[in-house]
Amino acid sequence: MLQKATFTLADGATLDDLVIRDTNEVSLRVMNDHELYKLEMERIFAKTWLLLGHDTEIPKAGDFIVRDMGEDQVIVTRDRNNEIHVNLNVCPHRGMKVCTAETGNAQAHRCIYHGWAFRPDGSFIGAPVEKEKMHGNQREKSELGLKKARVRLYGGLIFATWNINGPSFDDFLGDMKFYLDQLFCRTDSGLEMLGPPQRFVLPCNWKIPGEQSGSDGFHTLTLHRSLMEGGIMGGTAESIYDNAPGMYGVDVSVPQGHSLRCLEAAQTFKMFADVSFEGKTTEERLNLLPPPGVTKDLIPQLFKNLSKEQVEQLATIPPQVGGMFPNILLAFIFAPRTDGGSSGALALHTYVPKGPDKVEFVNFIFAEKDAPEQVKRDMLQNAIQQTGTSGIIEQDDADTWPQIMRNSRGAISKTMTLKYQALHGHERPDNWYGEGLLYPGFTKDDTQWNWWLAYYDLMAEA
Amino acid sequence: MSVNYATAAVDKASVMRGLVSKIRVPLGSEIYNRLLETLYDEAAALDERRFDDWIVMLAEDLTYTAPVRVTRNGPNKDRDVMRTMMHFDDNYASILMRTGRLAKSAWAEDPPSRTRRFVTNVRMAECETAGEYEVVSYLYVERSRLDNPENETTSCERRDIWRLADGGYRLSRREIIVDQSTLGMSNFAIFL
Repeated sequence: MLQKATFTLADGATLDDLVIRDTNEVSLRVMNDHELYKLEMERIFAKTWLLLGHDTEIPKAGDFIVRDMGEDQVIVTRDRNNEIHVNLNVCPHRGMKVCTAETGNAQAHRCIYHGWAFRPDGSFIGAPVEKEKMHGNQREKSELGLKKARVRLYGGLIFATWNINGPSFDDFLGDMKFYLDQLFCRTDSGLEMLGPPQRFVLPCNWKIPGEQSGSDGFHTLTLHRSLMEGGIMGGTAESIYDNAPGMYGVDVSVPQGHSLRCLEAAQTFKMFADVSFEGKTTEERLNLLPPPGVTKDLIPQLFKNLSKEQVEQLATIPPQVGGMFPNILLAFIFAPRTDGGSSGALALHTYVPKGPDKVEFVNFIFAEKDAPEQVKRDMLQNAIQQTGTSGIIEQDDADTWPQIMRNSRGAISKTMTLKYQALHGHERPDNWYGEGLLYPGFTKDDTQWNWWLAYYDLMAEA
Repeated sequence: MSVNYATAAVDKASVMRGLVSKIRVPLGSEIYNRLLETLYDEAAALDERRFDDWIVMLAEDLTYTAPVRVTRNGPNKDRDVMRTMMHFDDNYASILMRTGRLAKSAWAEDPPSRTRRFVTNVRMAECETAGEYEVVSYLYVERSRLDNPENETTSCERRDIWRLADGGYRLSRREIIVDQSTLGMSNFAIFL
């Protein structure tokens, strides 16, 4: 049943005019609309769980990183009790940034403007000239701490939300947890972020990369044609439309808007070497082709940390690319090397809105913490060469997205719609491993459409 | 090689210093002029998208990197070059992979950008190995993309080692020290 949208833009447009659920279309105007952007900041970025970083970035007490929740900047800290806090980087005194560095270590964050100081947990220490009581008489010190977000660690990933009494993180993940555990919670020591993120700004609205990370598998075939030319996706450039094994698999999504593309290891393996998976046990398959980023030494840990069904899936049809609503892309991919080095590349991106027409692309690169140093070195190089700033895959995305936004401005162009009409429909494959909305076969628009439905749901809540 | 690019400095970052060797190659000397001419030739080859000509200027032991910069304060304020993460992390083989891609379906540069590389503040010194030179230069790039009238730009310092071989100089090491912690350029589909 269709529900009523709860806002009307100045020209009379409602949410139902923008996300057209009858026909699976989205008005192009959403990709550069100032009014809508303000609502998105309030209803999405000030409400839902957002990814800020990884706990391996701040290993010691007092370590901090500065990150963004939409346009709200926060300080992510580790205190002496080993607890991680997320505090708004706005001095409650006169609004200055309390922290002007991007990363560092501090037992106290002292605002450079008037010297109000705060502990890593955000609590107010005091203002200079204590005897003059420069924080005034009207508020207790306990009321003058930094504004705190609600925090949850998952596989070391630091998530936070301003919605203090809102949905739990587990509700936010929903049925996706079964699949995400296979990426983030599979080894004893977990993942390690290999260095500070790459950061760069694109002239485009955040939703353009956002909806693509709702598992747009289809664009790989054409926008990333160079992967086919390099033989990385199987087949050749000449045969891409007839034979593109990388396009087939099982797309998984949930009503919360998250999704993943699971691609058959046997197919992937065929692209690297002509060895069959036929008749092999789970363990043998894992040893023949460990999932991206997992080394053979770590395989026993998979059995320890994951359920039988999860390991079976990792060995057969591992999740490789996808995203989490609203602004996260996941790439846990095979990046074959010619020199015999390790072939995995593990990257997460956040697409941080910086205005209706700007987005910051933040690229976090990982390896398994217990992988050998040389494997980490290879995987860092793989991820840098394939993703982010100079990555041969994502260079092409970064050049395409701004052109879509420029098109969204024209009086006529903005009335065009984005089409999500190549729909498969939910269909559970035989002997499938987990729950969620499942779309087996050639990758289609279902998961991205679900991303828009998740967008609709949040935008419809005042 | 006399140049120390240690990655194990305090906090896995290092204070930015340009030239390391003390044996300067003076401005206006024969070697200085030849190497400066090489930098200009390289910039022209890249601006004119003559990648084959550029590849000839590269040594096969090339390392080509661009560490990220971060904003830091206090005692670590100058340790802002983070070599644990990079924008480029390449070698000769991967550069060939990149130029090979540019010759086919690389939409990030097809249609191509129009670029101008301005190379200035060039300082040089001799490495311990005869015939190898440390060459530090500033690079400013203007990049015109499609019909956008506003160019994307970037500024950086390049710390190179050039080696005399077969009557010309070959680039054997380049570390690109970008100035922005958050890059204003949409991608590095161009070489710096």
